[in-house]
Amino acid sequence: MLPRMHEVDPWRFAGGFLKKVLSARIPDEPAYDPIPWAPVRRPLAEAKVALLSTAGLSMKGDTPFDMDFERRHPTRGDASWRRLTANARSESIEANHLHIDTGYILRDLNVALPLDRLRELVAEGAVGAIAESHYSIMGYQGSDTTELVGVSAPAIAEAMKSEEVDLALLAPV
Amino acid sequence: MGLVARVIEAAGIPTVTLNMIWVYQNLVGMPRVAAIEHPFGRPYGDVEDADTQRRVLRAALRVFEQAAEPGHVEHLPFVWHEDPKATKWHPAEPSPIIAMIQQRRSR
Repeated sequence: MLPRMHEVDPWRFAGGFLKKVLSARIPDEPAYDPIPWAPVRRPLAEAKVALLSTAGLSMKGDTPFDMDFERRHPTRGDASWRRLTANARSESIEANHLHIDTGYILRDLNVALPLDRLRELVAEGAVGAIAESHYSIMGYQGSDTTELVGVSAPAIAEAMKSEEVDLALLAPV
Repeated sequence: MGLVARVIEAAGIPTVTLNMIWVYQNLVGMPRVAAIEHPFGRPYGDVEDADTQRRVLRAALRVFEQAAEPGHVEHLPFVWHEDPKATKWHPAEPSPIIAMIQQRRSR
């Protein structure tokens, strides 16, 4: 087999302690149920794209993600979701996530939710359209993903479908 | 997040997950993964580095066209501009779960 051009080191920024804690949960071989697959139906230049971040983002004025819940229950995290408008900027959002330095996002939202960049790609014709709504969850769920998977994710999928989104680009932080 | 990708994909919308810890793939089974070697909190690039943000966004979107079968992992060729030791991404204080684990270990 030819060597890979570039293999991403998943632990480059994690440090030894975090690597140990996280990698203990990851099996060496695939251990998942069959992967769902929705075929891409139209070229990027004609597609409507929505973004999703796990940075715990909410519009100012909306209910922020609940960090006190996680402080009281360290093995759990807020499993709700938020809708963000396509014109959201650092100044118009809150970021609540206890596992990263959210300061970068508060200076430039595009580091985690690149709405300005997506708009530029639409303007130059590389992407068909930017969705009216974009989304956030808070990535740390600890030991219980029931609500995220059973309630929040289906609600996000429905919201995307109601806006006729063609492609969803998700980015954990 | 990988679990959310599976739900959205199952609802009929194709997903790409831009992921630092892409080895989670073995646990989760994401439909399409764009693996990237960026620090936590800044997956698309650094503050006001519009050029990198745009290139990462383009590369991640290209994975919709590159992935021919479920579970495809595309390794994006981006190199972060700082050494890991010089890259600050941690929160000001340890997260509750990390604090709890550290406390247990120090006993």
